[in-house]
Amino acid sequence: MASLDRTARAFLLTELVSGFALTLKYMFKPKVTVNYPHEKGPLSPRFRGEHALRRYPNGEERCIACKLCEAICPAQAITIEAEPRDDGSRRTTRYDIDMTKCIYCGFCQEACPVDAIVEGPNFEFSTETREELMYNKDKLLANGDRWESLIAANLHADAAYR
Amino acid sequence: MSADLIQFFTTNWLGQAIVMLAQCLAVTVPLLVSVAYMTYVDRKVWASIQLRRGPNVVGPFGLLQPFADGLKLVLKETIIPSSANGVLFIIAPMITFMTALVAWAVVPFDNGWVIADINVGILYLFAISSLGVYGIIIAGWASNSKYAFLGALRSAAQMVSYEVSIGFVLITVLLCVGSLNLSDVVVAQSGWFWHWYFLPLLPMFVIFFVSALAETNRTPFDLPMSEAELVAGFHTEYSAMTFGLFFLGEYANMILLSALGAVLFLGGWMSPIPHAPFTYVPGVVWFALKIAFLLFVFSWTKGTLPRYRYDQLMRLGWKVFLPVSLGWVVLTAAVLQFGGWVPKH
Amino acid sequence: MPKMKIDGVEIEVPAGITVLQACELAGVEIPRFCYHERLSIAGNCRMCLVEQEKAPKPIASCAMPVMENMVIHTNTPMVQKARNGVMEFLLINHPLDCPICDQGGECDLQDQAMAYGFDRSRYHENKRAVPDKELGPLVKTSMNRCIHCTRCIRFATEVAGVEELGATGRGESMEVTTYVEHALSTELSGNLVDLCPVGALTSKPYAFEARSWELSKTESIDVMDGLGANIRVDTRGAQVMRVLPRLNDDVNEEWISDKTRHALDGLRHQRLDRPYVRRAGKLVEATWDQAFGAIEAKLKGLDGAKIAAISGDQCDAEAMVALKDLMTALGSPNIDCRQDGAKLDGGPRGSYIFNPGVRGIDSADAVLLIGTNPRWESPVLNARLRKRYLAGHCAMASVGPAVDFTYPVERLGAGPATLRDLVDGKLGFFEKLKAAKHPLIIIGMGALAREDGAAVLALARDLAEKLDAVRADWSGFAILHTTAARVGGLDLGLVPAEGGRDVAGILAGCEKREIEVVYLLAADEIDTKRLGKAFVIYQGHHGDAGAHRADVILPGAAYTEKPGTYVNTEGRVQLGQRAAYPPGDAREDWAVLRALSERLGKTLPYDSLNEVRARLVTVNRNFAAIDQQAAGSWGMFGKAGTVSDAPFVSPIANFYMTCPISRASKTMAECMASRAQLMAAE
Repeated sequence: MASLDRTARAFLLTELVSGFALTLKYMFKPKVTVNYPHEKGPLSPRFRGEHALRRYPNGEERCIACKLCEAICPAQAITIEAEPRDDGSRRTTRYDIDMTKCIYCGFCQEACPVDAIVEGPNFEFSTETREELMYNKDKLLANGDRWESLIAANLHADAAYR
Repeated sequence: MSADLIQFFTTNWLGQAIVMLAQCLAVTVPLLVSVAYMTYVDRKVWASIQLRRGPNVVGPFGLLQPFADGLKLVLKETIIPSSANGVLFIIAPMITFMTALVAWAVVPFDNGWVIADINVGILYLFAISSLGVYGIIIAGWASNSKYAFLGALRSAAQMVSYEVSIGFVLITVLLCVGSLNLSDVVVAQSGWFWHWYFLPLLPMFVIFFVSALAETNRTPFDLPMSEAELVAGFHTEYSAMTFGLFFLGEYANMILLSALGAVLFLGGWMSPIPHAPFTYVPGVVWFALKIAFLLFVFSWTKGTLPRYRYDQLMRLGWKVFLPVSLGWVVLTAAVLQFGGWVPKH
Repeated sequence: MPKMKIDGVEIEVPAGITVLQACELAGVEIPRFCYHERLSIAGNCRMCLVEQEKAPKPIASCAMPVMENMVIHTNTPMVQKARNGVMEFLLINHPLDCPICDQGGECDLQDQAMAYGFDRSRYHENKRAVPDKELGPLVKTSMNRCIHCTRCIRFATEVAGVEELGATGRGESMEVTTYVEHALSTELSGNLVDLCPVGALTSKPYAFEARSWELSKTESIDVMDGLGANIRVDTRGAQVMRVLPRLNDDVNEEWISDKTRHALDGLRHQRLDRPYVRRAGKLVEATWDQAFGAIEAKLKGLDGAKIAAISGDQCDAEAMVALKDLMTALGSPNIDCRQDGAKLDGGPRGSYIFNPGVRGIDSADAVLLIGTNPRWESPVLNARLRKRYLAGHCAMASVGPAVDFTYPVERLGAGPATLRDLVDGKLGFFEKLKAAKHPLIIIGMGALAREDGAAVLALARDLAEKLDAVRADWSGFAILHTTAARVGGLDLGLVPAEGGRDVAGILAGCEKREIEVVYLLAADEIDTKRLGKAFVIYQGHHGDAGAHRADVILPGAAYTEKPGTYVNTEGRVQLGQRAAYPPGDAREDWAVLRALSERLGKTLPYDSLNEVRARLVTVNRNFAAIDQQAAGSWGMFGKAGTVSDAPFVSPIANFYMTCPISRASKTMAECMASRAQLMAAE
């Protein structure tokens, strides 16, 4: 009897029909797509997006050229050169991140003793040429200035869990 | 004046050529537009099955998306691999595209609306759709790439296997109609929609539809271009408009087989209810609606079923469809013979 | 040999060593800051506390001599607690600025705080602030970081011999200072940076340039003086970032001079990175092919006697042997490696090397310096002499310039006349030398690089023989070379062949147009004006004197850019490795000579470094014994004759600029200015 039942089901394509019914049902369910450029999903304060170099409130750049981020970077995307500034303080003369190498692991911001390099909330930084993804210090500082309020808010929100 | 014109268009060779050209255009232009929108509908259907939105950025509801895609293909560079056979490489997509279009000559859109109302319409269609495989084999060979070559081999084997069962399906229908003329096939199904052949020949209709999927390399039979193993199958090396021609040909083939299905099983241009007000609707609209329904099922299938394994595909073709369709031919013939329903002409 | 027990292991140790050294022999590492093998014991950091059974409290192992039947524990909870506490005390006033500290990554305090320290801070008070001190252009201070180990004070006082560093105040107000603000007047100040276990003293020229973990480390040999100090060259990418000493008790212990350490920025300036050819009086950039073409055109059909070659002071043996072989192939007897005209003609090897070796200084008990100022000619060797002086019972005298050796030396006279008197036994010091078991006579280039150099050499030889200074068990005859290539050149026979000309002869020949082509292999110390109208081929790495006069320039490699063999003043063969690649089109020197020889149709028979080195061994078997000093043979040398009355003058007038590299160095220029200021102040 069971075999007859199975044969009947096979010839009547019951599995196919139930599959088709299922997909047909889904066709009329509400869509889950976020209509991206017009609406955006929520971001965690820990989101690791585009890098930025921050400044102190008085405008002094935070980075002290300790090179810990360069050392920790698993993709070796960061290149730093340093020398004493005129006032004798340790500063970078070059701070480059190759965004095409970066794997956005966030080790750099973990390593940074002064919260200078951070991965901000921005993820919309696609470019038309590859060269534009070789970030230099000016670009990173400009990012920092642009996103400072959001970055500071994120750091504050996450501070309790550190 | 008008008599002169009528005479010109009916007797003069030039006039006849102009008429012919106009007819061809009247078929191909809407066909190509529907191919374009077929891609759009395809994507929309898959998207809605997956709870997505599908193309919705280019134009209202994304309606201009097919043209954007087409424009992109036209503007891209045609790359011919250095180790490919250049001439064959270019010819292959043309063959595929052309055979997909040529077949439309015998398809009746309405009563008498057919470019060539020949008596061997079905045979012609069968022959032309078999020629389509040449384009694919040539493409796979001329590309000089292992993926393209494997894709072409699979495609050829698959088409040959499923044409056999399609052949028996056609024979069943022919037995019922008693004619090879496609218009006759439609006329033979006139009456209420339960007179259409899909009901009495339901198993054959299913076999026909599944074989059509295999013929057009659609899911679940898209092994020739299964991206997980063969990159893109026989058109791996193609780009720009050469790729575009394959794409157009493939979709035109889909529409063609849908049209064939509509003619053979769904009563062609016939209205499902042979009474007013349904009979006021032009036959071509009913025909288009039937094609659209079959195409929707094509997309629906793609959204529902996973891909077959190659040996499963072959098993289904040779060990299930072939005996079943052969048996059904015999059964149909017997029923016609002993039931006294053999069509008379 | 007292027996003791360290962590349960019985060990027999030499008498007189400290517990810390005994622990090291037993393979137990004791953390320390103030203790250093080559400095006196201070015992003030307390990091080396260990537990001794039956002692009431932990003992400072660096200051405790070993005794019979001592039982030491280094891993008990008491020791761990003691270390923990000491580390916490050391960190009371140590700032948390590791990220901006150049010592970060190679800091003893960092490492030991990680290994033995407490894992959090209990301090809420402000840390103390100490003004930074000015220690000259090489040493940067950050005195907040100082933990008062006094290594720097002890180094300056004991090794460098300049009592200019000290501590003022007690307890929290203790400061390491120079008393008066001025640069250190020592040529060894760079070693302070190595000694400092924290980041209080860091290198000024290297400030913030690189991190220790970014650098690739290559072992090499220094070429700034004749000592051949063992160095480690640290590079980042193609650039040499710093030079550090390597440990080698036979040569430089673990010191190097400031020139060795800091002349490296000269490697970045004025480099020859492509061939040049002089056209219409101007040097024009050219390809190797064009440069070789110009040389080929000039040499075609030229008589060998009209060709001459001079090799420079920093050449590797590979380049010199290639030059010698090329000159022989061209039929030229005119070849010389003695740019200063020293009258050493490659006689018996004992006549031109520092026979007793640097280690021999330690056992000498009477030292005579002839025409030399080792403080400038080889500061590290001078430190060794000072070490010998500090050990006591060593009479020291000098015939030559009146200079501050950093240790007391009896000045007998200025010139050869005094030497003659000494040989004749007319001076009291002769008796001291005669009485000494291991008399040591050090002859500098100031005594030999003069017209009567051969006669002075003969006098020195007479003296050595009269004193019986050269015996089977001791050879006290020592030539102190000032250049890295000299002994190698003499070993390879880069002296005029039969009928050939030496440097003076070549220059005279140029003026008289008897020499038409001169090949300068990185030779810049000659008077290039005297080259006259000769066609000058210069092969080297810097645009210095030789390159300015050249008609064709072939770019070569500096010492950090080629694997090279060097023979130091002791006759010790040492290998330097390549740390970086030469800039631009420049190539290793022997390879340039090999390529040129092929172009001239006199292809040299070696294609690889190994083959060149095999050739070196064929020419002189000593080259097979790497890092060893082959004993020098003794025999007749020097030429007895009249000596002039002119006083001996040290060949080095300016310690900081002696070679193309140091002349191109900004750091060296700063050092010079600083030293001049210091002199003016005195």
